[in-house]
Amino acid sequence: MDIKVEKINDIALVTLSGELNMDNSNTLREAFKKILKEMNTKVLVDFEKLSFIDSSGIATLIEMFQNLEKVKGRLCLCQVNKRIIGIFEITKVHKLFGIFENRQEALRSF
Amino acid sequence: MTVTKIVDDNIPSKLDLVPGFITAVLEKLQVLHLDEDEVFALKLCLYEALVNAIKHGNKEKSDQAVHVIVKTNKKKIILEVTDQGHGFDFTRIPNPTTEENIGKFHGRGVYLIQNSMDSVKFLNGGRTIQMVKVIK
Repeated sequence: MDIKVEKINDIALVTLSGELNMDNSNTLREAFKKILKEMNTKVLVDFEKLSFIDSSGIATLIEMFQNLEKVKGRLCLCQVNKRIIGIFEITKVHKLFGIFENRQEALRSF
Repeated sequence: MTVTKIVDDNIPSKLDLVPGFITAVLEKLQVLHLDEDEVFALKLCLYEALVNAIKHGNKEKSDQAVHVIVKTNKKKIILEVTDQGHGFDFTRIPNPTTEENIGKFHGRGVYLIQNSMDSVKFLNGGRTIQMVKVIK
């Protein structure tokens, strides 16, 4: 999995590509920690190029969601493919995150 | 109908071996011409079952292995993942979607498997999980 982090105004945009699984979820966890350390409270994760997620990936997103809640921040996701949306719906975690169809709509929501 | 065994292999209890093992299993399943939804579901269930077997079943003990069998009769795929641990009470798996559990970091693996496969059974005192996917 590749992780690209950039700043758009005051929003940290995290672009993921490949597969998020037990083998690399710690890498995303470290990237999230760095984002929090730099006092970013608005975080958008772009899933357009992410093809797979397992329960360890979901756990990493929940951890970030909770860490952002503690600082009154917000975690949003965009361009999530239908299979991953299906996984979020099965586990009901889609209720925790703001999920948007496209990046612009997600950026405007902050 | 004839049942063909596609995989009958042991994987050592090392989490870093899991992605490569799953890739190899999915390559062997290519002969069945599965669609992308089916491949996604099988990959997800293999990840969840193997990680559970290595972490919770075998407690990551390097001298213990996880036995994986994949067989098919062309109408369905049967995955069996067996660890060498003490088993567990599979009748008492918490529902991860309730209000008190939804924010927890762990406990979604079996639930994802049960909702991605057509049938799931625990055998051998919980040491074996048998997962069946009907091929469309």
